[in-house]
Amino acid sequence: MMTGAAADVGPKDGRQRPSARTSDTWFKWLLVAPAAVLILAISIYPLLFSIWVLFVNYDFQIPGHAFVGLKNFKQVIFDPVAVYSLWVTVALSTINVVVEFLLGLAIAMAMANTFRGRGVLISVLIVPLFISPIIVGQVWVLMLHSPFGPTNYLLSQLLGYEVTIKWLTGFPWNFVALILADVWQWTPFMFVILLAGLTSIPPHVYEAAELDGVGPWQTFWYITVPYIAPMMLLAVTFRLLDAIRLFDTIFIMTGGGPGTSTYSASYYLYTIGFTQFHLSRATAGAWIFMILTLLVVFLLVRRLLTMESK
Amino acid sequence: MAPVARHTSRRSRLRRIPFLRILFLAVCVIFVVLPLYWVFVTSIKPSDDYLAIPPVWFPDKPTLVHYTAALFAYRGLNGLINSLIVSISATFLSCLFGTLMAYSLARFNTGGQHLSFWVLSQRFLPPIAIVLPIFLNYRVLGLNDTHVGLILAYTVFTLPVSVWMMFAYFRQMPRSLEEAALVDGCTRWTSFWRVAVPLAIPGIVAAAIFTFIACWTEFFFALVLTSRNAYTLPTVFRAFLSFQGAQYGEASALAIVSLVPSIVLGVLVQKHLVRGLTLGAIRG
Amino acid sequence: MSDVKITGLHKRYGAFHAVRGIDLEISDGEFAVLVGPSGCGKSTLLRTIAGLEEASSGTIEIGGEVVNDYRPRDRDVAMVFQDYALYPHMTVANNIGFGLRARKMPKADIEARVSEAATMLGITSLLGRFPRQLSGGQRQRVAIGRAIVRNPKVFLFDEPLSNLDAQLRDEMRGEIKRLHQEIATTMIYVTHDQIEAMTLADRIVLMRDGLIEQQGAPLELFERPATTFVAGFLGSPRMSFLPGKLVLEGPTHGVRVGEVMLPVPAGRTLNGAHDGMSVLLGLRPEHLTRAQGEQPAEGVYRHEARIELIQPTGSRTYATFRLAGEPVNAELQAHDVSRAGQQMPIDINMMRASIFDADTQRAL
Repeated sequence: MMTGAAADVGPKDGRQRPSARTSDTWFKWLLVAPAAVLILAISIYPLLFSIWVLFVNYDFQIPGHAFVGLKNFKQVIFDPVAVYSLWVTVALSTINVVVEFLLGLAIAMAMANTFRGRGVLISVLIVPLFISPIIVGQVWVLMLHSPFGPTNYLLSQLLGYEVTIKWLTGFPWNFVALILADVWQWTPFMFVILLAGLTSIPPHVYEAAELDGVGPWQTFWYITVPYIAPMMLLAVTFRLLDAIRLFDTIFIMTGGGPGTSTYSASYYLYTIGFTQFHLSRATAGAWIFMILTLLVVFLLVRRLLTMESK
Repeated sequence: MAPVARHTSRRSRLRRIPFLRILFLAVCVIFVVLPLYWVFVTSIKPSDDYLAIPPVWFPDKPTLVHYTAALFAYRGLNGLINSLIVSISATFLSCLFGTLMAYSLARFNTGGQHLSFWVLSQRFLPPIAIVLPIFLNYRVLGLNDTHVGLILAYTVFTLPVSVWMMFAYFRQMPRSLEEAALVDGCTRWTSFWRVAVPLAIPGIVAAAIFTFIACWTEFFFALVLTSRNAYTLPTVFRAFLSFQGAQYGEASALAIVSLVPSIVLGVLVQKHLVRGLTLGAIRG
Repeated sequence: MSDVKITGLHKRYGAFHAVRGIDLEISDGEFAVLVGPSGCGKSTLLRTIAGLEEASSGTIEIGGEVVNDYRPRDRDVAMVFQDYALYPHMTVANNIGFGLRARKMPKADIEARVSEAATMLGITSLLGRFPRQLSGGQRQRVAIGRAIVRNPKVFLFDEPLSNLDAQLRDEMRGEIKRLHQEIATTMIYVTHDQIEAMTLADRIVLMRDGLIEQQGAPLELFERPATTFVAGFLGSPRMSFLPGKLVLEGPTHGVRVGEVMLPVPAGRTLNGAHDGMSVLLGLRPEHLTRAQGEQPAEGVYRHEARIELIQPTGSRTYATFRLAGEPVNAELQAHDVSRAGQQMPIDINMMRASIFDADTQRAL
């Protein structure tokens, strides 16, 4: 009934048809290839190469790379600063994540119901997420620096007596400053994910609970928390895996100081590798740090996957 | 009487909570905005006002002198240009390769779960562990302190984000459109290029913006892999490390120059934020 | 020639065996409907014919050519999807012409064909619109237009009407039937709706658990179902199944259900039957009417029924009563019965009733 025979659109063009199966196989691997090759070349190959670096003395000054066995590992493990920096990392990342989680949850709960201006408020609250951590550090340096920053002045006004805290150089205020900057930047991360979780709870679940006479705390513990538990775990996992990298704010705010008191693991390894140029030692330390990180990844991500599949 | 009393007490509580809530949210907003405002006001404040007590919140004679100093004397402009070159190139490559891979993973389950989790695992490797070996290899290849070197590094470290965001996007796109295209006479490639990609453009744009922000704000790789030539905007802040020179205005001006573009972009894709932050795991 | 021949087809997804050995021949110009409950493998079979799924074993021939290794585009089939699968970023005209453009046909020819197809479906005025601006029925027409414009060897329909509301569904069903009469191309149509299957098909292929349960002309399947499954699947309300014993000795042959003896007419052949075997007597509502005349006609059993439940549909009324304790549905005229509890005689047409072996569930 149509103009023209089937032949002009049909497959009878005489050329060899590629078999469906082989062409699909080629196609799917070709699409994957560029990204996979790039990751192999820029990430995996250097990592494998660095395994060799672990066991030699890699030094730009000294020609030839003498085999030194486990010396690089020993130097890191028996360096008290290394161990200390690891504890700083654990402590700071734990405190950061806990504070950010609780604060983020509180803000999300406060904003779970729609009200006028909510969209604008969200836009304002998420702003810190889009700022480079180094600039966040810089911003807080400008806020906290005495005598320049306004923080001490504002605190004096609020508390009614003269406040002269050395935020960036005095213990424990330097840690408070680092936590402050991290919480300022990353609380919105928790808030946004938890808010998405809260708003995804169907309202009639709450209505049914209210009809059943369930109190607000019970509602929170028995409805809200179980419902958003997977998202809580996801938010904490993602945040924790970034929090243990802690470097930028330390770099700009305290420079690891005073002394080595605010060294995080990343900052310690950076100093060993790129200011003292003990490359092999830094690589050994980096591998230890990476394996510890992967342990955390395994534990948390596995937990996350079993939760997701439920 | 008892039920009535309970009733009124509940009502009064209902009235009290919104006030506390407003107070709480207002404190949060001030906490977020105040530091940014302080940086902004410092960037346009004459140097004489720096140490005034009480602090100057509204300078009488705003000035742009710190901006010119930051951009030219501190070579912030070079950093800005380098940041643009590196971020745009890396974003392009990451989204191009990421979209290709994500499509293959989403439609053909290529490599099973292993391949997709291998890509994801790249996201969780500590940068310090990656950057040392990259640095050593770039030294051999002559890629340290080059645009190409940093672009490649940024492409790789943003690939997990673009792959997983696009993976989630393609998965929620109905297959039947591409199947219709296949039956209609498309090859796998043309059904991808002429049907799936045009439909995925909103997702690609969102992924591109997140990738761009990630590159634009990155500091650590740039610190290690660049020095005099290919340095990016965030690394310029090294100049203000020790505040002996009291370059408050310059530091603030540079901070404003750097944070405004990424904030504007970020708020534009606010809708996709949850997807971006969780690599597509939560739709938001 | 565009017949479709399927031989020994299997499809496995890992451990799941979706299609378990299908042999099927659909001749040129035939309208075949694959029908069955969800999960019976009918959609998988259709998608395997289209080339969207790869056969695990067995062959598929279209027009005498084995197409197993062909890509979908090389099979010269067109498919209409359940969700229409219209390209949202293209106008209606581009949607319809997309397949022709993908095959690099000259522009003028594409336009001519698109407008011809649009005229045929009455959607000429919609050609400049985008899919999101169309109603459900209009989208359906565009999807069909996209299929017919290519003039394929075989049309494949994958539950095309299931997203439409009831009224539109009736209308589009007629449209598809008319289309088939006009272009007389082989069509294979998948549905889970037995009314669609009955009204559209030249041949119904009824599937169950990856196998063909029975195939044939719609009325043949309806009147002579090979198994209780087929009998239960086709027809609404469902056929009632009464467990009983076959009586083939003595003066009257028949089925004894409880205390009630329903005589089987002498003309009714019963293959493989023996006296006393357990059977299921299958009665469709259509086999039961209000008693007519003083005496029941030949092959009709008259039963004095007490109506328990009535369900009026307007033109008909379905009445439920018990026969030896088992519920049975009768399709009556609207005014035959007025209320539940009413006593009335019902005629059961034993010529049309089905009798199944209770063990094998197959018809005698």
